[in-house]
Amino acid sequence: MERKWGILLALPAMIGLVMFTVVPVIASFFFSITDWRIGNEMTVIGFDNYKTILTNDPTFTKSLYVTTYYSLFSVPICLAIAFMIAFLLNQKVRGLSVFRTIFYLPTIVPSIASTMLWLWLFNPDFGLLNSILESLGLPESRWIYDEATAIPSIVLMSTWSVGNTVIIFLAGLQAVPAHLYEAVEVDGGSAWRKFYHITIPSMTPTIFFNLVMMIIGSFQAFNQAYVMTQGGPNNSTLFYVYYLFRTAFTETKIGYASALAWILFVIVMTLTFIIFQTSKKWVHYEGSNK
Amino acid sequence: MLNLHKQRWLAVLMVFVLVGITACSSGNKGGNEASSSKPPSEASGSKLVEESAAPAEHVNLTFMYWGSNDEKKAMEKMIDSFNESHPNITVKGEHVPGDYNTKMNTLMAANQLPDVAYLGDALTNKWGSEGKLLDFSQYYGDYPELQNKLKASYLYTEPGKAVANFTALEVMVLYYNKEIFEEAGVPLPPSDPTKAWNWDEFVTVAKQLTKDKNGKHPGEEGFQEKSIDQYGFSFGSDRGTYGPLLESNGAGILDESGTKYALNSPESVEVFQKLQDLIYTHHVSPDLIQQQNMPDNHVRLQTRKVAMVLDGTWALLDLTNNKKLKWGIGVLPKLKEPKTVILAGTTVVFNSTKHPKEALEFYLYHNNPEQVDLYKTGLWMPTEDKYYSEEEAIKSWTDNEAHPAEFRQAGIDYTKGYAVKSPSTAIKNWPEINSKLAPGLDLIWTNKKSAQEALDELESQIQPLVQGVYPNE
Repeated sequence: MERKWGILLALPAMIGLVMFTVVPVIASFFFSITDWRIGNEMTVIGFDNYKTILTNDPTFTKSLYVTTYYSLFSVPICLAIAFMIAFLLNQKVRGLSVFRTIFYLPTIVPSIASTMLWLWLFNPDFGLLNSILESLGLPESRWIYDEATAIPSIVLMSTWSVGNTVIIFLAGLQAVPAHLYEAVEVDGGSAWRKFYHITIPSMTPTIFFNLVMMIIGSFQAFNQAYVMTQGGPNNSTLFYVYYLFRTAFTETKIGYASALAWILFVIVMTLTFIIFQTSKKWVHYEGSNK
Repeated sequence: MLNLHKQRWLAVLMVFVLVGITACSSGNKGGNEASSSKPPSEASGSKLVEESAAPAEHVNLTFMYWGSNDEKKAMEKMIDSFNESHPNITVKGEHVPGDYNTKMNTLMAANQLPDVAYLGDALTNKWGSEGKLLDFSQYYGDYPELQNKLKASYLYTEPGKAVANFTALEVMVLYYNKEIFEEAGVPLPPSDPTKAWNWDEFVTVAKQLTKDKNGKHPGEEGFQEKSIDQYGFSFGSDRGTYGPLLESNGAGILDESGTKYALNSPESVEVFQKLQDLIYTHHVSPDLIQQQNMPDNHVRLQTRKVAMVLDGTWALLDLTNNKKLKWGIGVLPKLKEPKTVILAGTTVVFNSTKHPKEALEFYLYHNNPEQVDLYKTGLWMPTEDKYYSEEEAIKSWTDNEAHPAEFRQAGIDYTKGYAVKSPSTAIKNWPEINSKLAPGLDLIWTNKKSAQEALDELESQIQPLVQGVYPNE
C-alpha cells in the first residue's frame, strides 16, 4: 500500500520532468543533427552543425570568449562577496534581521526589473555611478557602452544579487560545530585562527556547492545582454545563451541553435566534472578522514 | 529533522502544487489555441470540412499586430467596425507587445499562425519566398483594389508575385525645432526636395546650431567639445540613417547585381565617413552612446538637446502630441540626389489560412484610411496611390495639425517622387547579414576605426552570407 501511494504521489513530479525536461532535451538533440530552420522542411545532416560551429564560426568563438571572461571574473568576485556578507550577517549584532533583509532584497526583485534599474545607474550622462565618480573627481566611465568596460560593468551588477548564495553560506556558517571554536578558544587562538582553521575548512562543502552553481549560472547569463546591450558594442557582451537565442529566434536556425545548446551542455558538464575531481583535494566533510 | 507525519503533509501539499501548475499551464495552452487560428491539423480536419460545407458559414479570423497604445486602440476600433459590417466574419485581434519576431517565429514553428498579421520586412521576404504567404497576384481579379497601391509598397519574392504590402508607408525625414532656428536666425531646412541642402550646407547649419555651455559653436576659439549643451543634429545608427544617404550617393549594401558586398565602395565609405565626422570631427552630433541614452526625438527637440533629428514619418504622432514643441518637417540633406527610403512593416495573409477570401476582405479593410484614424494622427501614411495624387484624397488625411503646411512637399512629394524601398528590404538573408553588419558598424560609430577600415574588414564576414536580392516588381 505504502509503495503504491509513493509512486502515485511522485507521479506528478515525474510526469512534469518527462514532459518538460526529458522530452525537450531529447528533441533538442534530434534538432541539432538537422538543418531545421523555422518554416522549412528539416533534413538530418548528421554532425555538420557541430562541425561548422567548432571550425568555422567566429561568432561562436567570440561569444564563448565573452562568456568565459564574464564567468572568470564574476564567479570568484561574487563568491567572495557573498561569503563576506554571510560572515558579517552571522555576527551577533543589533538589528541583524534588518541587515539580512536588506542584503536579500535585491534577489527578490525580478531580474528584468533590476536590470532596468542598472541601466539607469550605468547611464553615462545622468547615471548615479558617473555622478559618484564625478563628485570624487574621477574620470567618468562609459560602463556597458564601451567594449572594454562592458563585461566588468556587468560583473559589478551581478555582485548586487548574490542574496541566494549568501543564504546558503549563512546556513553553512551556522552549521559549523561550536565545539571546534571552543577548542580554539581554550588553546588561546585568535579570531583569525578561528576563521582560517575552523570556518574555512568547515565551509568547503558549501563553497563547493556555490561554486558549481555559480559557474553554471554564469555560463547561462542572458538577461543582461537581452535587456541592456543586445550583445553590443561590437559583440562585446554577446553571451553564449544570448547568441543561441538570437540564432534560434532572429535567424530562425533552430537546428544550429540546438547544436549550440548541446555544446554549452558539454562545456558546463566538463567544467563541473573537473571541479568535482579537484574537490577531493580541498573539500572536507565532517566525519570523513581526509 | 522532519518526522514522518510532517513529511506526509508535505507530500500532499506538493501534489496540490503540482496539480495546480499543470492545470494552469494546460489552461493557458487551451487559451492560446482558441485565440490563434488553428491550421488544418489531422485531428480537427474532418470536422472543419463538415463545417465549411454548411451553407451559412461563419468565418473566424485571427489578426496579429504590434504597436503603441494609440495603434492598439485604433486597431481595436477598426476590428469592431469590421465585425459589425461583416456579420459572417468575426475577426479577433491579438496585440503582441514586445518581441514580435520571436513570437511569430515560435508560432510558425508550432504551426499555430494567425490568418492575417503584421510582419517585419525581413521575415516577410523569407516566408514569402518559402511559400508561406498568400500570393496577392492570384486575387487581382477578385479584388482589383489590391492593385491600387503605390508601386513601392509591394514586396515581391519572384517577379510579379506580390506576397505583401506595407501596412502603411513611412519615409525618413528631417524634423527640427522651429524656435531654435528662429532665434539663431538660420533659414529653416528646405521642404522642397529639389532644394535639399547639400552636405556642406547641412554641416554649416548644424555647426551654427551646436553650442557648448558658453554658447560657443564648433570651430570657434575656446569651443569645448566635452560640454556641448545643444547639438545641431542627431541620428540613429541603423539602416534608417545610412539607408537614405547611401541611396542619395548612388551606393548600396550590395552591388548592382545583388551578389557582391559593396559597402566598401568609395560612395558608400563616403557616407559612413561623413556620419562619423559629424560626431568626431565637426562635433555637431552626440556620439551613439550619448544618443542611445537620450530621450525620444520629440523630447530631444523640445528640451533643446538637439536642433534637428532624422526620423521616420511615424514620429508625426508623438511630435503633434508634444504641445510644448514648435516643430517643422524638412527633407534630408543630399549627397548626390535628393532621396529617402521607405522603412515599414508589412501586413501579410498566411497561406495556412482556410479562408483566403475573407482574409483578403479584412486585409483591404484593415488599413483603409476611411476606417482607420491613424493616418490623421500622423502615425501612418496611406499606401494607396490616390492619397498622393488626388486633391480631395490628400486633404482627407493631411488637413490637420499632425500635417503642417510643409508636409505637402516634405511628406507627399518626397514620398511620391524621391522615396525608394530601403535597400535592406530587398536583400535576401538580411537578418543574418545585419547580425554581422551592426557590430562591425559599431566600430565606426565609436570611432575605433575609420569607415574605410571597418567596411573593408566586414567584407570577409558578410560576403559568404550574401544570397542575392528580391525583384522590385
